[in-house]
Amino acid sequence: MAVQIMLGPQSPRANLKNAIDSLSFNGPIVTITAGWRDSEAETDELQAEIGIPIEDLNLYHQAEKIFALEPELRALQRERQGKLLELQRLYRIRLTPTMAAARKLLREKGEPDLLRLEQRAAISQVRALDRHHVRRISAIHQDFDTRRAALLIPGAATLRQTIKRKVADSALVLIAGGHVAVLINRIRLFRLADELAQKPIIAWSAGAMVLGERIVLFHDDAPQGKRDAEVLDTGLGIVKNIIPLPHAKSRLDWSSRTRMALFSRRFAPAICCTLDNGSMIQMENNRITSASHSSVIMRTGWKKSVKAQ
Amino acid sequence: MNPIIQSLYRDGVPDPEAVNNFVDQNQFPLVEPGRVTFVYRGQAEEVYLRRWIAGLSTAQALEPLEGSDLWALTMELPEKSRFEYKFEVVANGARKLVLDALNGVLAHDPFGANSVCQGYGYERPGWTLHDPEARSGSLATLKFASSSFQDTRELEIYLPARFRRSRAYPLLVVHDGLDYLRYADLKNVLDNLIHRLEIPAMIVALTQSPDRLVEYTGDERHARFLSEDLLSAVAAKFPLLDDRNARGLVGASFGGVAALHAASRYPRTYGQLLLQSGSFAFSDLGHHKKGPVFDPVVRFINEYRNHPFALAEKIYMSCGMYESLIYENRSLVPLLQDQGMQVFFEEARDAHNWENWRDRLRQGLTWLFPGPLWMVYE
Repeated sequence: MAVQIMLGPQSPRANLKNAIDSLSFNGPIVTITAGWRDSEAETDELQAEIGIPIEDLNLYHQAEKIFALEPELRALQRERQGKLLELQRLYRIRLTPTMAAARKLLREKGEPDLLRLEQRAAISQVRALDRHHVRRISAIHQDFDTRRAALLIPGAATLRQTIKRKVADSALVLIAGGHVAVLINRIRLFRLADELAQKPIIAWSAGAMVLGERIVLFHDDAPQGKRDAEVLDTGLGIVKNIIPLPHAKSRLDWSSRTRMALFSRRFAPAICCTLDNGSMIQMENNRITSASHSSVIMRTGWKKSVKAQ
Repeated sequence: MNPIIQSLYRDGVPDPEAVNNFVDQNQFPLVEPGRVTFVYRGQAEEVYLRRWIAGLSTAQALEPLEGSDLWALTMELPEKSRFEYKFEVVANGARKLVLDALNGVLAHDPFGANSVCQGYGYERPGWTLHDPEARSGSLATLKFASSSFQDTRELEIYLPARFRRSRAYPLLVVHDGLDYLRYADLKNVLDNLIHRLEIPAMIVALTQSPDRLVEYTGDERHARFLSEDLLSAVAAKFPLLDDRNARGLVGASFGGVAALHAASRYPRTYGQLLLQSGSFAFSDLGHHKKGPVFDPVVRFINEYRNHPFALAEKIYMSCGMYESLIYENRSLVPLLQDQGMQVFFEEARDAHNWENWRDRLRQGLTWLFPGPLWMVYE
């Protein structure tokens, strides 16, 4: 089975080179920087950092070429994105009060036996809502895939196959951070999940987020105030039972044990692992084989270092 | 009495060295939770604190402290308050307004500088300061002919860091734009908020009127200038998103009136308004008493109050609690909301000044133009 290494943000100190050096591989390195959107092609700094030739798959821009060849696919894609956006809005309408109730109950003082069951039920409601949301998202993706299968345009298929082959022929794949929705969208559009699952991967920040089963957005220090963490989408599912949390130090409110405890219990049995600058988690066969500078949020709201399993 | 002054007088009238030490070793004004003590040092017949807080007397006398050349005044001040002031010193029969020589914190505006009193707990927001990690945007000058004013106008254009002609950007038009740059650190604010992804990269047109007391008070020519001359000149030169929601107007004081007025005359043009301490004077009965400069303002606001309608998608309004305009601003909020517009109204313990407007920019800009922060994990 292939190795996956998840890293935190690469600024101000990069640990990508160390991660690459820790792997033994023989062959080309390909990169996915679609999360950088229209800065995708600007890989000079990345190249200089690792000092080994890389080939970027240019998924962000290649998608535009595909859309030009397949206007029906563009329309289908727009329709899917529109549905996902609307679904997210509807999900948020239910999520806000459900999360508020769970937090309130977790802060309540009272007769422990009585309270514990109510707290558990409140968290179950949040979990049920998340599961429902994931099912709805999956249904939208499935509908897209079914309708897309009917669109067979040779030029676009050739372009897709070329990209798939590049991944298949690579010895290592690097997935950079950036805009997480754009990143998963482009990887999904080129149907690279199966190829990626076979390859050693080093992914950082948003790149790590898309490797998981669910993509969870979070920010407790946004300019308009705290927001409830949201399930945005399904991920590639290459890494199981981990919710990667890039920039956790600055984006999470560690002063609130209630918030942190709810975060942990909401996504259990997946473990919520911080990925800050300098963090590293290495996985093989869905087991953590080594980790440094990463913490897992406990159900009590405290954190402890991630350890190899 | 302030505890530090109490301690100065603990053993009786202090000697000159103790007074010198008191002045050297403390920061002035002396701030404590809920109160502030102003201290003036010098020979004088009378000393007054002059500040412009609606509802309070503009001048309060400082009392001489026995056996010294010190004068002091203690007043209530809610936490995190901020206001600007000067001392009025009467000496040899002459009155003079001076800065507080013991307080190095100054605020500048087009009329000069004032000393600044920062109440307990006030801190200048970090996002208003230069951040060496934030990539710097650039400023360019754009000259164009204005058919509305029959002259040539000049704008400063802020271009975000990593500006690319291949991309299309939102546009923000800022009244008194050069003053926003000078006195409200607008460039730092834009650089920082864009760097932190709290707002999207945007183009900002900074306009400065040669006669704001006329052009910003509900002048039809100004509305046309903004919405026709300026927009087409900027669009001809820079890549802009062609979407009402990606277009906003900013203004403070009369600039706020000018922004609201332009949006009312071109209701499909601007999606976002950021109005700070707008001089939204009106009269329900009889004639207003604000002077002839306000006549066109009152005509416009009365007209809008009588026939309100949705003139934008979202409006952020802010006003200082210590300025008289708080009444006009508060009155306008429900009227705007009733038209179906989203309105965010923020009050601050501050007055009619540039630093108040600076400190509110993050809330306003990030609410009107939310950045990709939520989705981006670099």
